[in-house]
Amino acid sequence: MNHRSRSTAASALALLLAATAGCGHSSPSAEGRHGERPPVIGVSLMNLSSEFIVMINKAMEQRAKELGAKLIVNDAQRSPERQIQQVESFIAQQVDVIILNPCEVEASTPAVDKALAAHIPIVNVNSETKTVPTAFVGSRDEQSGRLAMGYIAGRLGGKGEVVMMHGYMGQAAQLKRDAGAREVLAQNPGLHLFAEQTAEWDRAKAISLMENWIQAHGDRIAAVFAQNDEMAMGALLALEQAKKKDKIIVVGVDAIADALEAVRQSRLDATVFQDAEAQGRQAVETALAIVRKRPFEKETYIPFRLVTKENVGQYAK
Amino acid sequence: MPCPSETGPFGRCGTAAAMRRLLRQFGIVIALMLIGAALAAATPSFFTAANLINVVRQIAINGILAVGVTFVLLTGGVDLSLGSVVALAGVIAAGFAHPGDYPVVVAAAMGILAGTACGATNGLVITRGGVAPFIVTLGMMTVARGLALVASGGKPVSNMSPDLTRLAGDILGLPVPVLILAAVSLVSWAFLGNTRLGRYVYAVGGNENAARAAGINVNRVKMFAYTLCGALAGLAGVVLAARITTGQPNAAVAYELDAIAAVVIGGTSLSGGVGGIGGTLSGVLLMGVINNGLDLLNVSSYYQQIIKGIIIVGAVWLDRRQKE
Repeated sequence: MNHRSRSTAASALALLLAATAGCGHSSPSAEGRHGERPPVIGVSLMNLSSEFIVMINKAMEQRAKELGAKLIVNDAQRSPERQIQQVESFIAQQVDVIILNPCEVEASTPAVDKALAAHIPIVNVNSETKTVPTAFVGSRDEQSGRLAMGYIAGRLGGKGEVVMMHGYMGQAAQLKRDAGAREVLAQNPGLHLFAEQTAEWDRAKAISLMENWIQAHGDRIAAVFAQNDEMAMGALLALEQAKKKDKIIVVGVDAIADALEAVRQSRLDATVFQDAEAQGRQAVETALAIVRKRPFEKETYIPFRLVTKENVGQYAK
Repeated sequence: MPCPSETGPFGRCGTAAAMRRLLRQFGIVIALMLIGAALAAATPSFFTAANLINVVRQIAINGILAVGVTFVLLTGGVDLSLGSVVALAGVIAAGFAHPGDYPVVVAAAMGILAGTACGATNGLVITRGGVAPFIVTLGMMTVARGLALVASGGKPVSNMSPDLTRLAGDILGLPVPVLILAAVSLVSWAFLGNTRLGRYVYAVGGNENAARAAGINVNRVKMFAYTLCGALAGLAGVVLAARITTGQPNAAVAYELDAIAAVVIGGTSLSGGVGGIGGTLSGVLLMGVINNGLDLLNVSSYYQQIIKGIIIVGAVWLDRRQKE
């Protein structure tokens, strides 16, 4: 292995250890003011093998350290059942507050119910559950679909032939990004969505789908809206290989590193930035405000932002 | 009606038997041609040179995996770790393929090596430890996925040198992945038919005890099959990384199921001993044509899943009926 991948491997291992060991030792700054016991926040995350969730986690740990709180981080690895068990064990450990990053809308709901029944406040971050938690911090996914399709409408002057790549059918993000995009389509009767298909958030599947679309309707497509950047990158690669990218607009959502780089190089037209860092920081701030009995917002929405060539410099790291 | 001799070249019985033999060997090819003809009639975009190249480009990765797992299935085993091994190999190869890092050969070799190591570990635990292949490779499925996440830090390994992405490009109008699949298939086909070890693969899957009694080193044959399967999964991982221009730790989930399905559609028995590379390629092609055709016809995602499932089971069912 070369140095770069060895160091990322080492940091991944460290992160895993930190997550599984539950951050047993508190740093000096976490001792809390006035010598009192630092508040303990139990965190159950949807999936630490997702880049986006890893970013939320880093921001939370950073903010907790700054504000003198102790985090216990568990990874539910996409299993709502495991998530419920983790919340149960937080209740047993008598944590002061729980931050839940729900795996699923319905299936993770019992986790919220149990915490509320045990009179432990719970903050949902990034995704919703059916039961309303003590507070919610996240973004409205519809807005990302609106921004992306709105950009396409602007570039095409409200008129043109559009295709859409969906995420996993039925997932909250797919449904909401779809709904947001359709609002824009409804407002622009000249925009015509003539083909749509799932590529399951996956770059390889998106390449194949785009190749097939190029065969079926090559010269008809004016713009591609992919519901995440992985698929947008796949569409982009297929279009570049077919030498058709200069005629077709491609827009994604999430602002992953690859997509930002592609926007910077004028290959990808736009992506939509979901602020993982702000979500993570705000979740910890809200949780601590609740514990310290200070006023807090019941719902905080962190806005999405459109990223194009003009403003990509603010986002690319 | 009973036939005096199955081999009579001129009698009616002989003709029927010959037809049956033809169907047995080419049933899946006929199914492929029927579906191809239907698609060509349904949409003018299907039967064009550009689209057919498109189809073979899209099947290359599944094809390489399917050829590898054909060896394992022929011995009567199974390999469920393929998808995860593909992801691991892709991440490793991408890690060595940053511009100016190492020559592309090194990156590709490291990916293939990672796959080979996984395959050899599978083989070792199965033969020395006597643990069922289903369990061993299921374990490897999660271990390899975990290793891919550790090696990549849970993030896609990007910034790939164009030398590696060229592995997914074209040479003289033909996609490189297809040329790789063709080479892998040709060598595997010749190997299975013309070498002693190749024939042993069939013998072990046909009847393990008989093979052992005949003096075949059964463990060595199995070890070979799993290691080769792992190596080809590594190669598929390198090709996938080149195609998607990153090493994705979360890529290739459930690719093993597509590969195994293609092999079984192609007439290789899940219990071993029967089948071959030609059938596997037909199965891979059939699945690729269905995927491509449904996209061209803009069939809704929900119905695509239903149609694919029915066609897969239907193709195998027809194939089996002909063989009875």
